Amino acid sequence: MISETAPGTPADGAASLAIEGLVAGYGEVVALDDVSITAGGGAITAVLGANGAGKTTLLRTVSGMVKPRRGRVLLSGTDVAGRSPEQVVRAGIAHVPEGQGVIPELTVEENLRVGMMSWRARKAERTAALEETYGRFPPLAARRRKLASTLSGGERQMLVIGRALLARPRVLLLDEPSLGLAPRVMAQVMDLVVRLSREHGLTIVLVEQNARSALSIADHGVVLNLGRVVVSADAATLAADVALRHHYLGF
Amino acid sequence: MVEFLQLTLSGIVFGLVYAAVALSLVLIWRGTRLLNFAQGGMAMFTTYVAIEVIYRTHSYWAGFAVALAAGLVLGAACELTVVRPTLNKPPLNSVIVTIGLLTVLEGLAGILYGGQYRSFPTAFSITGLRVGGTALGVSRSDVFVAAAVLVATLVLAVTFRYTSAGLRMRAAAFNATIARLSGIRVARVLTVGWALAGLLGALAGVLVTPSTFLYPNSMDIIFVYGFTAAVLGGLDSAVGAVVGGLVLGVALSYAGGYVGGSVGADLTSLVALGILVAVLMIRPDGLFAGSRMRRV
Repeated sequence: MISETAPGTPADGAASLAIEGLVAGYGEVVALDDVSITAGGGAITAVLGANGAGKTTLLRTVSGMVKPRRGRVLLSGTDVAGRSPEQVVRAGIAHVPEGQGVIPELTVEENLRVGMMSWRARKAERTAALEETYGRFPPLAARRRKLASTLSGGERQMLVIGRALLARPRVLLLDEPSLGLAPRVMAQVMDLVVRLSREHGLTIVLVEQNARSALSIADHGVVLNLGRVVVSADAATLAADVALRHHYLGF
Repeated sequence: MVEFLQLTLSGIVFGLVYAAVALSLVLIWRGTRLLNFAQGGMAMFTTYVAIEVIYRTHSYWAGFAVALAAGLVLGAACELTVVRPTLNKPPLNSVIVTIGLLTVLEGLAGILYGGQYRSFPTAFSITGLRVGGTALGVSRSDVFVAAAVLVATLVLAVTFRYTSAGLRMRAAAFNATIARLSGIRVARVLTVGWALAGLLGALAGVLVTPSTFLYPNSMDIIFVYGFTAAVLGGLDSAVGAVVGGLVLGVALSYAGGYVGGSVGADLTSLVALGILVAVLMIRPDGLFAGSRMRRV
């Protein structure tokens, strides 16, 4: 059951994520106000918008870090809204939070092993999963015994994405994976995101400040403003809409 | 020279007991960023449990085993009942709660077992060991105390470093958010941490009480020593806690031994408090703190 959903699954087995009428906030502040977004199976959905638009809160609510006040989060039809983060990752949604995702005090390999805490398996299966990750990210293999604090920015991003994939998710939530990366490294990360979707059938929700590069790889785009969905359209349509780009996306 | 050797060896033995208390404080500090002021009270209570078992069964080892088990249970129970509700509140709440817990445990011990001093047996002879004609200043019992703490520390270190459960505990301590997002049940990990701290404290209580007698406040001063050792080591580091315990144990042994008489005995606790105040003022991150600073 679990191995069916491992990276490497063809796109036709991909899981869809449907967010319906989600309301969430912190104290008096309403950060998400009746947000509905459908992320198609195996597709990349870019969530865009200014600082404070609610993008990060959206991901945190889907992954259980923030308790929703109302609404549903349907993973292939099963409502996971309100579950704890530990339960949500077991259901098949992995969340790579913005920045600070590596645990610098642990080695590269220990960081990756943390990613496998959500499922039980024999040692051989875990070792195979680790080797698969090293195969995908050769720079990590060379540094597996080193502390994660010694990695470069690009390697850190590989590490946190590799760790999230080791949870064997069907849906991957990425919060600003390009933040703080050099342009060339950023292009590599975007390329990786595309491959995870196209080749491995992962359903990806990509939160980005950098709207231009996000739309260049996304299938679908959603613009949030002050906690509400203001536009939802094909990525190409969004990128072509000059007025909208100027107004909400700043390019 | 002989006196120096004797004071050093006996300082190391007591230092290891302080190290055990320090380790239990570090375990909880790393997991929850809170200082468990009830640690000594918990150890005092499990030592009463041990003494009751020893009276009834006439077996030191039955009491020893029951004390450790009671430490595990008491640690987990305290976390689940009184500490858990304070974890997402301001830090002062948990401080007050653990001080309250200490008061309750000491009061309860007074009600159940009375306030009189009780002696506690040792597992081995307290006759001083000799090499050639030279008295070493330590006994078989002292060797057992040192060995027990060392074994416990080693088992703990190996568990943390090399097992999946240990990795879960470290990940949860370093970054609870990432741990939870990775599927680690952090709440459960914290309970296990408190249980292990309870066990270490119980071990320290059983080991040190033959030298201090047992009464409801008997572990207070041992807690202060353990806290000082933990602060010396930086509160965050297991290795630091052990080194801090040894440094403190030897320092107090010299202070007590070389000054001598009743002045020396009174001096030890003053020296410990002096070290505590000095470290907190001059190097609040401990003797081994590098440039690394972490706020949670």
